[in-house]
Amino acid sequence: MRATLVGVVAAVALIVAFPAAAAHPKSCPSAWAAGWQKLANTIQAPVYCPTWMPNPLDAKIGGQYIDIDSVNKDRSYLISFLEHGDEGSGDVHVNFRGYPGRTTIPRCTTVVLTGKKAIRGTTPCFADKAGTQTANGITASVYRVNQDADQWHILLAWHHAGSLYTVSEHVIQPYTYAQVVHNLDRLLAGLVLVRPEG
Amino acid sequence: MRFTRRRFLGGAAAAALGGAGIYELVDQLAQSPRRPTHTPTPTQAHGPLPPEQHVFDLRTVSSEGIEVLVPPLHSEVVTATVKTDDLRGAQHELEQTLARLDAEYAPNPAGLGVTVAWGLPYFHERVAAAARTHLPFDRRARKPVLLPTRRFPSDPDTTRLESNDVAVLLRSDRLDHIDAARKAIFDDLDVFDVASIRRGFAGGAFDGGKSLPQQLAVAAGVPGADLIPDGAELFLGFTSTQKAGLGPRLIANHETLGFVDLRGGYFHGGTHMHLSHINEDLEAWYLNFDFDERVLTAFQPGMTQVRPGAQTVPQGPGNVASAAETARKFRQTGRFGHSGPIQATSRLLQRVVGPDGTVYEQGTAIPQRADFNTLDNPFAFSSNPAEDKLDKTPAAGVHFVVFNPSGDDFERNRLAMDGVLPDGTKLEVSARSRAQGFNSVLTTTHRQNFLVPPRRHRSFPLAEL
Repeated sequence: MRATLVGVVAAVALIVAFPAAAAHPKSCPSAWAAGWQKLANTIQAPVYCPTWMPNPLDAKIGGQYIDIDSVNKDRSYLISFLEHGDEGSGDVHVNFRGYPGRTTIPRCTTVVLTGKKAIRGTTPCFADKAGTQTANGITASVYRVNQDADQWHILLAWHHAGSLYTVSEHVIQPYTYAQVVHNLDRLLAGLVLVRPEG
Repeated sequence: MRFTRRRFLGGAAAAALGGAGIYELVDQLAQSPRRPTHTPTPTQAHGPLPPEQHVFDLRTVSSEGIEVLVPPLHSEVVTATVKTDDLRGAQHELEQTLARLDAEYAPNPAGLGVTVAWGLPYFHERVAAAARTHLPFDRRARKPVLLPTRRFPSDPDTTRLESNDVAVLLRSDRLDHIDAARKAIFDDLDVFDVASIRRGFAGGAFDGGKSLPQQLAVAAGVPGADLIPDGAELFLGFTSTQKAGLGPRLIANHETLGFVDLRGGYFHGGTHMHLSHINEDLEAWYLNFDFDERVLTAFQPGMTQVRPGAQTVPQGPGNVASAAETARKFRQTGRFGHSGPIQATSRLLQRVVGPDGTVYEQGTAIPQRADFNTLDNPFAFSSNPAEDKLDKTPAAGVHFVVFNPSGDDFERNRLAMDGVLPDGTKLEVSARSRAQGFNSVLTTTHRQNFLVPPRRHRSFPLAEL
């Protein structure tokens, strides 16, 4: 069983998880690097490795917090880290996405149930743009209304070399909206590009 | 894949507010230089008071090119039970107190609005014989005007149906005026046992800047508060007091539209009031609904031309969808929105000439809303905190107050909000589906119907008979 989330008071303090973010990140943390390198190699495109994660998460693909490790046929990926708190203590949930070779916002399927009938449609997966954040040489758009695994998350999206990348975090206790925005600032500032090898 | 859970975020809000009382904060934030000033004015200076208690004249301004009424900054409802058996004595004392308040404060937001409403328990238990003779009857619905309080399809089983004898609505831009009125009616007189106090606020930003709801929600640390747009009149981000969307001055009187039998005429100039408390999940609203969907949800499907970020969206008679159109859009889109279906039931289907000669054109809105946002959870005070599930942690919500000519008229509108249309059509959606407007982010905790007598009978109505 996973460790219970730290309490609200401790979480508010935003304790830095291992490893600490560097002011100017130069490399993916060694404990996490193998997974991100493997991902870059798999999709044959650069990926962004975080150097800091909100407490208590780490960003080790295949580690104790990995929730989704998914690569689609079009090489787009979703890497999700989740700590699911016990007894209503909350969740910490961070998603990383990449869409090699495309910069447009993907569309997500919607299903509205009306009695026995389901009306299907699509909607932008990331919507309600609320400004931009710049750090670490990246200018990211902030989206507040997102779909699927990013539902109820605040999401940052940016372009690099003709591809779309995102990082998002769920707004749920123990982190407030303001703390999630702060966490995303810090995540953005700590991202390191990992290029495919071979 | 595991799914994360949503939980109501009480702890964070409590932590943010600390030990400060939220309504002390209201007072601090309300010290706006733009707030109207008030000089106590004798009644004679502002003319005779209207015969109706519920009429409260508000100034209008233009918001995004649309005429809107400026609501009072502060509102409060105090509910109570009658504790005296000397009803005639109590009637005299309360009327004297109310008359003093009338004399001291102008009948507008710079002064004070006082509306005394009475519940079925009062009429049934205190003045039963006279009530049988005089309570108005809704001929259209073939029901009494004052109906037993009920739950609606989207209400949870936990919605508490209240049984207060009386509710007093106090409205002003000045908290000290409201405090003085509450003290005069409920502390200085010995006729009521207070059951609940419900406080709140609205607007405050039609001249620009941050609104009172936004400032208070942020200060209280309510989840989702940071997402409320600047200037929003209410937590959910849309202006709800546009003039064309609210009933004109006397339309909500029992007698105006002609479908209420006033019997002996005792309640001529009166109206029906519904009071409820509704929790609002602001995070769900702002993080799960993008702006376009918030428009479709708050209004109706098909509204695709609304300027991004608009808060005041036209809701005049020309924007009304018929019940048939609402049903057709629902079949196409799976949605019917919030105001869309209500507009079909809450506006005149034909031109009506009131008994005083006033012409009400087809499409005129009937209900007069006086709702206000709150951080009560669910009340600021309850004499029965366990049953009312009183919690000191601030929570975003609305104390919904609306005046209609009859209880059935209110019910028609409320049922339409749940997809039950006036022609009997039932739009089949689950009880709390986001297809039916706000319902997926709203939870009604309390409800009660009241009768608002005319001013001349506002104090212990029928007790003198």
